[in-house]
Amino acid sequence: MAKVLELPKLSPTMEEGQISAWHKKEGDTIDIDDLLADVETDKATMEYKSFDRGTLLKILVPPGSVVQLGQPVAIIGNPGEDISALAGGSGGGAPAPQPSAAEAQPKGDRAAQPAGGAAPSGEAPATTAPPAARGDAVSPPTQPAAPQPSSDGRVKASPYVRKLGRERGLDLTSVAGTGPRGRIVARDLEGLKPAPTAAAAAPAAPGELAAPEVRPLSMMRKAIARRLTESKQTVPHFYLSIDVDADPLNALREQINADLAATAAEGEKPPKISFNDLLVKACAIALVRVPECNAQFTSDAILIHRRVDISVAVAVPEGLVTPVVRDVDRKQVLDIAAEVRELAGRAKAKKLRPEEMANGTFSISNLGMYGIDNFGAVINPPEGAILAVGQVRREPVVRGEQVVPGRRWGLTLSCDPRVVAGAVGATFLKVLRQLLEHPTQILIG
Amino acid sequence: MSLTITPTAALATVWNAVLPPEISAMTTLTNGDDLHLSLYRKMFQIRRFEEEAARAYAQSKIGGFLHLYIGQEPIAVGASAALRPDDYVMTTYRDHGLALARGMTPRAAMAELYGKVTGCSKGLGGSMHFFDKEHNMLGGYGIVGGHIPIAVGTAFASKYRGEDRVSMVFFGEGAVSIGDFHEGMSLAALWKLPIVFVCENNEYAMGTPLSRTLSVEDVSLKALAYGMERDRFNSEHVLQVRDRLGEAIARARTHSEPTLVEIRTYRFRGHSMSDPGKYRTKEELEERKKKDVLLRSRIELEEKGHKAALEAIDKEVEDEIADAVRFAEESPEPGPEVLEPTTYAGPFAR
Amino acid sequence: MTVLRYREAVRAAMIEEMERDERVYLVGEEVGHYQGAYKVTEGMLDKFGSRRVIDAPITESGFTGISIGAAMVGLRPIVEYMTWNFSAVAFDQILNNAAKLRQMSGGQLTIPLVLRAPNGSARQVGSQHSHSMEHFYAHIPGLKVLAPAMPADAKGLLKSAIRDDNPVLFMESETLYGVKGEVPDDPDFIVPLGVASIVREGTDVSIIAWSRMVHVALEAAAELEKEGISAEIVDLRSLRPLDEETVVRSVTKTHRAVVAHEGWPYGGVGAEVADRIQRLAFDELDAPVLRATTLDVPMPYNARLEQYVIPQAARIIENVHRVLYKS
Repeated sequence: MAKVLELPKLSPTMEEGQISAWHKKEGDTIDIDDLLADVETDKATMEYKSFDRGTLLKILVPPGSVVQLGQPVAIIGNPGEDISALAGGSGGGAPAPQPSAAEAQPKGDRAAQPAGGAAPSGEAPATTAPPAARGDAVSPPTQPAAPQPSSDGRVKASPYVRKLGRERGLDLTSVAGTGPRGRIVARDLEGLKPAPTAAAAAPAAPGELAAPEVRPLSMMRKAIARRLTESKQTVPHFYLSIDVDADPLNALREQINADLAATAAEGEKPPKISFNDLLVKACAIALVRVPECNAQFTSDAILIHRRVDISVAVAVPEGLVTPVVRDVDRKQVLDIAAEVRELAGRAKAKKLRPEEMANGTFSISNLGMYGIDNFGAVINPPEGAILAVGQVRREPVVRGEQVVPGRRWGLTLSCDPRVVAGAVGATFLKVLRQLLEHPTQILIG
Repeated sequence: MSLTITPTAALATVWNAVLPPEISAMTTLTNGDDLHLSLYRKMFQIRRFEEEAARAYAQSKIGGFLHLYIGQEPIAVGASAALRPDDYVMTTYRDHGLALARGMTPRAAMAELYGKVTGCSKGLGGSMHFFDKEHNMLGGYGIVGGHIPIAVGTAFASKYRGEDRVSMVFFGEGAVSIGDFHEGMSLAALWKLPIVFVCENNEYAMGTPLSRTLSVEDVSLKALAYGMERDRFNSEHVLQVRDRLGEAIARARTHSEPTLVEIRTYRFRGHSMSDPGKYRTKEELEERKKKDVLLRSRIELEEKGHKAALEAIDKEVEDEIADAVRFAEESPEPGPEVLEPTTYAGPFAR
Repeated sequence: MTVLRYREAVRAAMIEEMERDERVYLVGEEVGHYQGAYKVTEGMLDKFGSRRVIDAPITESGFTGISIGAAMVGLRPIVEYMTWNFSAVAFDQILNNAAKLRQMSGGQLTIPLVLRAPNGSARQVGSQHSHSMEHFYAHIPGLKVLAPAMPADAKGLLKSAIRDDNPVLFMESETLYGVKGEVPDDPDFIVPLGVASIVREGTDVSIIAWSRMVHVALEAAAELEKEGISAEIVDLRSLRPLDEETVVRSVTKTHRAVVAHEGWPYGGVGAEVADRIQRLAFDELDAPVLRATTLDVPMPYNARLEQYVIPQAARIIENVHRVLYKS
């Protein structure tokens, strides 16, 4: 009995996803846990693995489509089964998948392509037509899917074409291959432009404003935009700043790194810890001592967390992600340092799983490496506070009656006063300052 | 039964006329017992080496094939006594005896059997491929008869360069049927090359007796068709082997003429370690072991009052072989870095 | 520079090297008094005498083995087979001795030996006399295999071969012996082993060939040019070592490759070249690497069938069309 596969929830916050590639084509046998498709969510590209066994009878949404959670994406069943009812019915309830901006252009071209090697005539415009519109045009499932790149998700192209595609940023799914069995060969790329951006960058006519470069929003950028707006519009922010004496912390850090270097095994690169690693640990200790700062506002109650999970903001080309270091209060500084680096590395490679970016209780955002002295950060909901960290500054400081060279460090706490009242935030910062200025406590805390 | 055939009368005349006095002296059986003792020592070393090799094989410390020379030792040892150090020798895969007789150390030989990098061929050759360029032992070869033209080639080189080196090539009677034997014989005779072909006729080509492999039992007769001198005798005494081969060697050295020599012998062990030996009876084997030439030398030397010297040799050889086994056990194996430089001289051709 | 025929270039290389090095000698059937079955060695007996130009009876295994033995102890023999077909009876010597002695002796021995003869098809000489033996020998580590197409390369490569300390197999061609070309007179002129040459530059397809097939490929390229297809021709010259850098460079430029050779396709040198290309230049390929070879049957005597079986320019052109998706 054929059944409709719907887009599953692949990350905790996912509301929609973009099917970036199908790994199975119509007619393929599917087993449980087989990789069906890649789905770009707001957080990462996720693997959509089958929960069913059967034959993939119909793909309802082409690669590039943005699909709402629960919307039908494919039909699975026994070979030869009549699925016209399912295919037609499913189209009625759910909204039609929308091709993303990046995909729209090349798909428009496809209609004009020669029909050589294409599927039975009724199926040709599969990439643009919503399922409802072609419910009666579904090809018999026993017939193998036509070797069209866009319908089976596998692009047949010569290795050289693939290389050119990578170099020039070409979307090969939109190219019609004229080689054997629809293979895209080098001549098929002649005159082809990297579609999404170059087309928009036409030179301006005299007297007109030059057109801006158009960069379509990725799923991640959309998610960031939505969350930031939501935070700044619905969460009241107020700010508390301190400037701590960073000399003791610097001395400790240098001592630790010197000891790590001296005791490293032969030929092994010694680990290193940073100001930020010590700060993450200091915050965890301060959050334990001032638990009201480790809290979350809800309409009915304030939730005081019994865990200290700190989100560490990492800048990536697509924007900002916040991997979470769990149970920081129970971890050693060296372990925290290693974990932060590992998470940051995977964040940059887009390899973080959504759950690794969810359910923090407090955030730290550090822009010191860009030379920023002080800034105020936007709270990362549903957390109650975020600490914005500037650079450690070299400057003259007064010690006793002397002006001597020293180090200062500007920290700004953004608080949601509904849960972290001004006095609570100030207490947290006082504790934090004590820790940072008497930093051996960080190691024993 | 006497198989002995002397060189033709005509040749014998030439022979006596041309032999230099020092060679004449070497070719008598009247040398002092010192020589006999030293040749006995070498035969005994080979015997003990191979007995220990067989043990190591049974313990799986040696892999592949292992063809033992036990029983045939007087031929390699007698031949080496008749040759000069700069003469070239080559033999079959049954090559331990000749290598040791020519001067290879038991350490280098045993380490090769163990496949160690300290072996004579760096552990790449194994039992069948002992090579020792320093002692002009130019190898043990695994394809029956294939080495015969190669040996002829070394004789060709000596003649080409005007040197008076002699080449000697050993093979079994099984090789007499294959083409390379005949091509090598034919060309050596045609081009008058300084080589001695020594057929060690141990009566069995693997498991097939002579009577079922050759239409003419007398292998030395093959020389007639090529107009080559020949000799044929039983291996009865190490000094006798030395003297008889000495005649052929002298002919090669002084006249640049080849000789085919057939020496009847017997191996006491199987063709290889995996040989069940069903093709001959226990009685036959026991009967032949009574004629062990090594044993004969020992009895003779004991009778001549050399018991103490023999006991000293026993001890030395035992120590030497035990040392060789220890050395082989402790030596490192060759690493992959030896493979490419031993495939090509210079850069690898890929 | 002098214009020489291929056979004269081969002869000049041997003469120069024999004059240069007393250890070099020539042995083979009919090389002396007969003046060479294909006149390659004409005049050499008179020049060097019977000590160094040696007529051998029909004993390929015997004189191959003898030359291996002589090389093992320091001479540098050149062995001529009447054709490479007859090396088959010496195959054991080449495979088990020439190629193995260095390894079996743990590196103690070197075998500086040159084996040379005409190779490949001639005209209607039937199945036993039409073999392309380079495919068998290039398979064997320990050997080097050369197959020059041009007189200058024949001279320069044979001189390198004679000076090499390994067994080198030198493939000539009866159908090339009359080909003329400019050849350097300089006795120090040599062509290094393992360096291919681009005999024709082009942009659309690389045709990789050696020996006689280089000339057939040139013929095909001229035809292709009329259709507007620009073919580059890589003459490998040396099959082992094989100059994969030059092949890859050419394919990186043209993105399409056809290997053209005589001899059967199954597991041949063409298959090796195709493997190198797919392995080293995968991302450059716009089409699978194709081969234009002798058909996979023994060579027939019938003239028409023989021409059908041997790879011709038309077969190369057909394969070029396929890699350009023009068929």
